[in-house]
Formats: sequence, structure tokens, C-alpha cells
Amino acid sequence: MIELSNIRKFYQMGPDTIHALDDVSLRIDEGDFVSIIGPSGSGKSTLMNLIGCLDTPSSGTYVLDGMPVEKLSRNQLAEVRNRSIGFVFQTFNLLPRLSALENVEVPLVYAGVDRRHRRALAQQMLEKVGLSDRGRHLPNELSGGQRQRVAIARALAGRPAVLLADEPTGALDTRTGEEIMALFAELHKEGTTIVLVTHDPVLADKAPRIIRLKDGRIVGVEDFTLGHQVSGSTARVAAASLSAATAQKELVS
Amino acid sequence: MSKDRKAGMKLSRDKNTAMVIDSILMSVRSLVGNPVRAFLTVLGIMIGVAAVIALVALGNGAKSTVADSLQTLGSNLLIVYSGEPRGSSLVRRNTTNITPVLSQEDLDSTRQLSGGLISMAAPESSASVQLKVNNLNMAATAIGTDVYYPEVRNFFPVYGRFFDQEEYASRSLVAVIGIEVYRQLFPSGEDPLGQKVRINGIGFEIVGIMQEKGNSSQDSSILIPMSAFQRSISGEADYAIINIQAANSEVMRDAQLWVESVLLQNHGIASMDFADFYIANQLDILATAQGVTGTFTVLLAGIAAISLLVGGIGIMNIMLVSVTERTREIGVRMALGARPGDVLLQFLIESIILSIAGGIAGVLIGLLASWLAVHVGNMAAVPDYFSVLLAFGFSLATGLFFGGYPAWRASRLDPIEALRYE
Repeated sequence: MIELSNIRKFYQMGPDTIHALDDVSLRIDEGDFVSIIGPSGSGKSTLMNLIGCLDTPSSGTYVLDGMPVEKLSRNQLAEVRNRSIGFVFQTFNLLPRLSALENVEVPLVYAGVDRRHRRALAQQMLEKVGLSDRGRHLPNELSGGQRQRVAIARALAGRPAVLLADEPTGALDTRTGEEIMALFAELHKEGTTIVLVTHDPVLADKAPRIIRLKDGRIVGVEDFTLGHQVSGSTARVAAASLSAATAQKELVS
Repeated sequence: MSKDRKAGMKLSRDKNTAMVIDSILMSVRSLVGNPVRAFLTVLGIMIGVAAVIALVALGNGAKSTVADSLQTLGSNLLIVYSGEPRGSSLVRRNTTNITPVLSQEDLDSTRQLSGGLISMAAPESSASVQLKVNNLNMAATAIGTDVYYPEVRNFFPVYGRFFDQEEYASRSLVAVIGIEVYRQLFPSGEDPLGQKVRINGIGFEIVGIMQEKGNSSQDSSILIPMSAFQRSISGEADYAIINIQAANSEVMRDAQLWVESVLLQNHGIASMDFADFYIANQLDILATAQGVTGTFTVLLAGIAAISLLVGGIGIMNIMLVSVTERTREIGVRMALGARPGDVLLQFLIESIILSIAGGIAGVLIGLLASWLAVHVGNMAAVPDYFSVLLAFGFSLATGLFFGGYPAWRASRLDPIEALRYE
């Protein structure tokens, strides 16, 4: 489903080259629930942007949903995002002038789904997150938890290959956050592939697989589905990342 | 899995059409949702379009007014003036102090012109005089002429009659007064026929009142037989003016050339360059006057077009602000799969909708202003529907052109930066 190989990403900041990601390889299979955890500046935002096809790597290959995407144009990336990625943001990012239902419809508009089907699909997604009666409400008429549910419905509407969530509970109180995490667990149970990016270890622990990121490298992989063992290919990468002693500048995320 | 995921998704036949319709609905909604801002945004366009329509209407009105007023002078009119040419005016403001050089011989040879070029001619001389009826006085212009004058100048009595050939031949002291003269000398509205008016002290019997022409030089005049004018007022044998009516508008140029050559011959002058008279031609003057008002219309339209341009800059300004304000929205849309072209289209449609709204409002205001000019302002305004179309089209083009840059800026945003924008 997602296969990153030897991904590097560096930025030029004045005379300095900043290595945001340095030789990262990882593999996420269909139906996985993976959390990527790391402190601020670890490169997890950069990694999320790459996985989400918002950005392209400086080097390395990325195969998403069976398709190499590392060299695509802006237009092609937009289509890949539309088809294969469902974004859930910390601050929900609902479009304020659109109703809940219309927000869920947005990715379907760009996919070219006709009006009638769009509406039906969006309604179906709102039902899935338990908000079937809130379709006509504007975002500012909804609570934080409800807004995030709408955002999740929107992310799911295009039936993407992967749900990419960036600190999805960061703007919510503890209880509402737990409800959202429970929704993720449920979606995972139904077979949705989920990648959760966070700096919060408590949240990361909800995922069966945890990838630890530091200074642009993978420093550890925990896989509870395999009895706390580290899986093959990523283990070698993790080991390599761990042993490499490089002075790196931190990228403020 | 991939197939399974896509199952149940029917694609619209034309994705772009769906996008355009969506963008239009969105734009209309944001317009309605923020009416004050929308109004201020389109104000420039609105004023520009309204100005184009109203000013072109006024320009057209002025044009037809000039044409109408020239037409009231008479039709196919040539006027031979004594003296040097002065400007291009058909009616000289002050013809009372011209030294007359046109003789009876000139008039006769003009009337004898062959070839069906001329249908009629009437001499004319004028002088500033003092009129007196009972104890009322007024200053007026006495015009000496003959019986052909009403026909040639399209200026007829409304009451009573014009003097006749017999009165002309016998140098009778009879007068036909202009409507303004009647109003001032007979303020109580009594019947003037048969009454005496004193012109510089000499009594004339009033036989008629001339129709109202709307210009003071004709309405404040008193018409008497040329024979009486020459003897009692001017003492000059020659005429200041010969009014000539050409047979029809096609032969006016020929008639003018013929009259020129005959009069040059009579006066023993080699060419018009040295002539002691000149001829004004109604068609030429009409063309000149319409040319002037045409230039005026172009000028007005130019000013209006500049205001449209300013309106366009207003749209660009607001659209740039709008793009900045909605940076995050653009980022979200891009994350959800909007291609740069989709974003471009959305903002372009928004600015076009704005300019169409402004254009429609402007057309309505412009037509209303023209209507008010006619019905309340008592001005001549003739809306030109081509200008309506032009102004509306121009406002659309303005939206497209000035919306283009902000839309392009929006489409070039980096989705990562845009999502991070606060």
C-alpha cells in the first residue's frame, strides 16, 4: 500500500542544507494502523507531507497504492491526493462557508462525481461517523468533536487508500479525543488503513504499530501485532538509522 | 481492493462543467453572504458601466438635438453671407452690422439659375431697432426680406399672415412679429392684428405673429418687407444675406458651386479666396456639428472606459485580499484533490460573477439615469443599445482580466504553506 525506500528530503536554508528526512524506508500494508511519533523537529511533518503527496522527496522512491509517485507533477499529485489520501487535520480545516454535508462532498467534486451520487455518498459518510442529522449545519454550529467527525467523513468520502491523520485530537478535550480515537479503532477494524502522526506517546500507543522518528531518521519500530518484534526490512533501516552518528540540524516543524 | 474502493462511484459526464456550476453556486453564495463587501467590490464596475451608458446616451441626445435644431432652420438651405467667413455657424449670432454687398442683381441671377438646382431664394438684412407699442418698449431685430422667406427658412406665421407680394411691391409699412415680441409688447394677450408698432419711431401695422422657434434671434425679431426696410431703416440698397433653398439635398454641393461662380462673376472677383461673401451649406454644418458631438461622445465614452478600468483594478485588489484571506481554504482544497487549474477556475469564476453582477447593476443604473435625464432633467438622452452591450462585455472582460492575476496567484500556492497559513 505504502512503500517508502531510502527517502531523503533536504531544504536549503541560506548556506546550510537541512536534512529533514535522511534515508527513511518504511512499508505500510493495506489494513494497517500505524502511528508515527517523534518530537518536534524530528521530521514527522515532512514525512507526513510526503506520504500525503503534498510534497516530493529529494531522492528515494515512494510507491503508493501500486503507483510510483515520487516524480509526479503538481496536477498528478493533486489527483493522487484526491483518489488515495484522506487527510484529517488537527484543526479540522472544514471550509467555514460550507455545510457539513457540502464539506464532505468537496473531494467528490474534485473527483468529478456527479451531484446526486455525491450527495448520497456524503450522507452515507456522515452516517458512518454518527452525524447523519447534522448535514445542514455549518461548521461553526458544531462542537469540536463533531467537526472532527465531519472531517473524518470527508477524508473517507473518496474511499482513499489511506487515512492520514495529523494530531487529530490535538484541538480536542481528553474525552472527545478518546471518542475520536475509538472511531479510528472502529474504522481500522472495518479494514481502513490509517496512518496517525503525533507527538503524544499515549495516542501513539493506540496503534498496533509505532514508528519512532528522530532527527529525520527512523529510530525504532514497535509492532504489537508481531509480539513486540521488529519487522524485517524496517529493522535494518532502523538499526542503520540508530548507528549513524550524524550532526543534524533540526527542522522546526 | 482498488476496484472495490471505486465501486459505486459514477463520474459526471463532464467534470469541468460540474466544477464550473459548483464554483458559480459557491461564488453567488459568498456574494450573498457578504453583500456589503460585494457591493463595494463591484462599485467601480457599476459606476463605470452606468457612466458609459448614460454618457453615451447624453452624447447621442446632443447629436440628435443638434440635427433637429439645424433641421428647423429650413431644409436644403444655403446661406450667402456678406463679408469674410466666420467659423462654421450657419446662423450668425450678429448679422446686424455686416456691410451688405449682395445686390438685387445677385438675387436675380441666383433665382435664374438653370438646371433645377434651386427652388427658391429670399434676401435678408437686419438691424437692431427699438420697438414701441403704446407705452411699452423693447429692443429687437428688424429683418427685411421678401415673401419667400417663410418657405426658405421654414419659419411661418401662427396667427394672422405674412406680408404679401403686393405689400412688398408697394413698400407697405406692415410687420409680422416674433412670438417673443408679441409676449413683451402685448402682455395682456390682446389681439395685435391691425395695431401699430413703432420701429425706431415709424409706425407699422401688425399683420401676423410668427411661430415659436426656440431661439431668441428669430423669436425676438420683427419681419418687414425688404423694400420698406431699405427705405425706412437701413437706407442700404444691398442685402446682407441671401437665403437659398436647393432643389434637394443631392444637388446642394452643385448649387453652392453654381451660386459661387455666378456671384464671383457679378462681383468681378477671380476666386473664392478673395470673395467679399461666403456660403454656408446646411449639410456641411450638420456634418461638422455631428462630428463635434461625435467627438464629444467618444470623449465621454473614454472617460467612462477609464472608470471601468479603475473598477477592474478594484476587483483585482479585493480578489487579491480574498486569495490571501482564503489561503488556508485553498490549501485544504488542494489537499483534498483540487488541481491548480481547479483553484484558478474557482477564483476566476468568482471575479467574473462579481463583474457580471456589477455590470448588470451598472446597466440598470445607466438606463435609469438616461430615463431620468429625459423625464426629470428634461435633457435629450438616447441610450445606444450597442453601448449597453459594449459596456457589459467590457465589464466581463475586466473581471476576466483583473481576476486573472489573483486567481493565478491562488493556483500557484504551495499546499503545505497554505495549510500552515494562519
